[in-house]
Amino acid sequence: MSGRCLELTRRSLLVGGAAAAASLHTGAARARIRPQDMVPLVGPGFKPTDKDEQGLWKDMDRAEEEIAGSNLVIDDPKLAGYLKSIIGTVGGPAAHDFRIYLLRVPDFNAMMFPSGFAVVFSGLLLRMRNEAQLAGVIAHESGHFLRRHMIRAWRDERRKTDLFAIGSMVAGIGGAGAGVYLGDYVQLAQLGTLLSLFSYSREMEAEADAMGVKLMEQNNYPPIELSNIWEQLIGEENASAYYRRKHRHKGGIFDTHPSDASRMVDLRADAEELTVPGKAYDAGRKRYLSTIAEIRPTLLDDQVKLNDPGASQYLIETLAQDGWNGLLRFYEGEVWRLRNVPGDQLRADQSYAAAVAYPDAPADAWRWHGIALMKQGRPAEAKAAFARYLTMKPNAPDAAWVRQTMG
Amino acid sequence: MKHWTKLALLAGAVALSGCGGLGTGEYGFSDYGLVRAQRVNVGDGEMSVVAPRPYNRHRRVLFSDVSDVEDWTLNGPILDGISFVSGMKNNKELIRQHRTASQQVPRFRSDMTAPEITAMLESLYRVKGGAVDLKTLSLQPRQFLGANGFQWDYEHLDQDELWRRGRAVGAVIDGKLYMILLDAARSHYYAAELPDFEAIVASAQRRG
Repeated sequence: MSGRCLELTRRSLLVGGAAAAASLHTGAARARIRPQDMVPLVGPGFKPTDKDEQGLWKDMDRAEEEIAGSNLVIDDPKLAGYLKSIIGTVGGPAAHDFRIYLLRVPDFNAMMFPSGFAVVFSGLLLRMRNEAQLAGVIAHESGHFLRRHMIRAWRDERRKTDLFAIGSMVAGIGGAGAGVYLGDYVQLAQLGTLLSLFSYSREMEAEADAMGVKLMEQNNYPPIELSNIWEQLIGEENASAYYRRKHRHKGGIFDTHPSDASRMVDLRADAEELTVPGKAYDAGRKRYLSTIAEIRPTLLDDQVKLNDPGASQYLIETLAQDGWNGLLRFYEGEVWRLRNVPGDQLRADQSYAAAVAYPDAPADAWRWHGIALMKQGRPAEAKAAFARYLTMKPNAPDAAWVRQTMG
Repeated sequence: MKHWTKLALLAGAVALSGCGGLGTGEYGFSDYGLVRAQRVNVGDGEMSVVAPRPYNRHRRVLFSDVSDVEDWTLNGPILDGISFVSGMKNNKELIRQHRTASQQVPRFRSDMTAPEITAMLESLYRVKGGAVDLKTLSLQPRQFLGANGFQWDYEHLDQDELWRRGRAVGAVIDGKLYMILLDAARSHYYAAELPDFEAIVASAQRRG
């Protein structure tokens, strides 16, 4: 069998692994578990005492080493500190034991590993509307650790499959050419398979939800925000499917959520139950927006260039609920330009023209505005737009092309 | 363009040839055929180039490939590859994809400018290759096949955590896209293959 086939076989494994990965996406609650019943099963400085769990932690240490050194880690001390402070707030008794890594992957996902380190994808930051939502996701993931879900799931899985190869799987992560693939879009090589060993039951997901909401409330985050995330995700999936003229993909992240709506309802009920009338909750919206302000253009860029127009437009319009600006108008234009069906060129041109009317329009908006004007046969205006682009970005990598085009 | 799907194969983003019928290697067939060091037609034959040394050409697979796109490699598609686009017509795609796929590579349009073509390629890397970052190093005018074309230099970080570097030289002639593209691991392989790539570009001719 050729190398390609081996890769394809591994691919199937990975896809299978991803579907069941121990992430935010798995499981759905059938019976509501009350937040007040959720008590952490580990205390501060928890260390495993059972032999199998000790071995698992050792393997996870190696996995963490690989992730920490990955090219995909976003090396931004401000964001790293922010995420650390959030998990240090909503992490319950293990708050100060957790480690958290931000990876540049334009997908909605976060996951907790058995030894207490969490991974957050950059696509999650784009989708969260405030700090409370981000804290909710992290609290949910912390809930899996606090309730010892991974070791429970793993022991269960091992009973069923007699699978002991976990060490060799971790070894593969560090091996030459280890691919990265997690979640729907990207997963960390064999880590995807690895994570499938910790697939959570619906009951565990319900527990993590309840624990997460409780941790949010205890730290003055409005508990309702965890439910709101699901609403936003469903909206995004629907928009994505609508733009491609199909029904919402049944094989997507909601595969294991036959009752995602009921999960949302449960979370809403949890929130109502926990919310203390008159208590001052803070969603931390301003703090969140100012912290991610610098990286937001990159997050938008990574999303829009995937050319998933429905999802991208949904996200842009969600962000624009705080008001349109040059950046958002520019990326709206990019969505249409990349979709490129009849009429989109005009829509894109209009968005670029609208973008450059804002003082915060990025330099690239001026370049694309210039290209649009040039195509419309308005050379003088195009030249002015290109000149503005070069003024804003004197070292633009495409300056030579732009100058030649200006004539 | 199979070259771009190499990472997708690893990662599961796209279905490709490889494991069925011809090309598995199990029955003495290979995914690759020999390109001799001589003038050869590439893609659908609308363009020819001189191979400066023997190369490996990925065999075309019915229904999976686009006829005017062809991929070569020296050391295997993970490490390096040269791709040819030999006169792609308006509204055609660089790679076959499902009409309802959520993420898609934009279609080529005859009136595309160089930045639009490079953006189309960037989406290809991101959507089909799983690139998480792509940086333009330079975009400049360049003559190609006797026409005013462009040269795009770029690098991208892929989901196997490897940085790769590429150079695309192309032009739209009579509404059709002609392009040759080198994409290789940034360390060693890109620089090692660049002289070959430049020789191939310099030798390119359109069918008269």
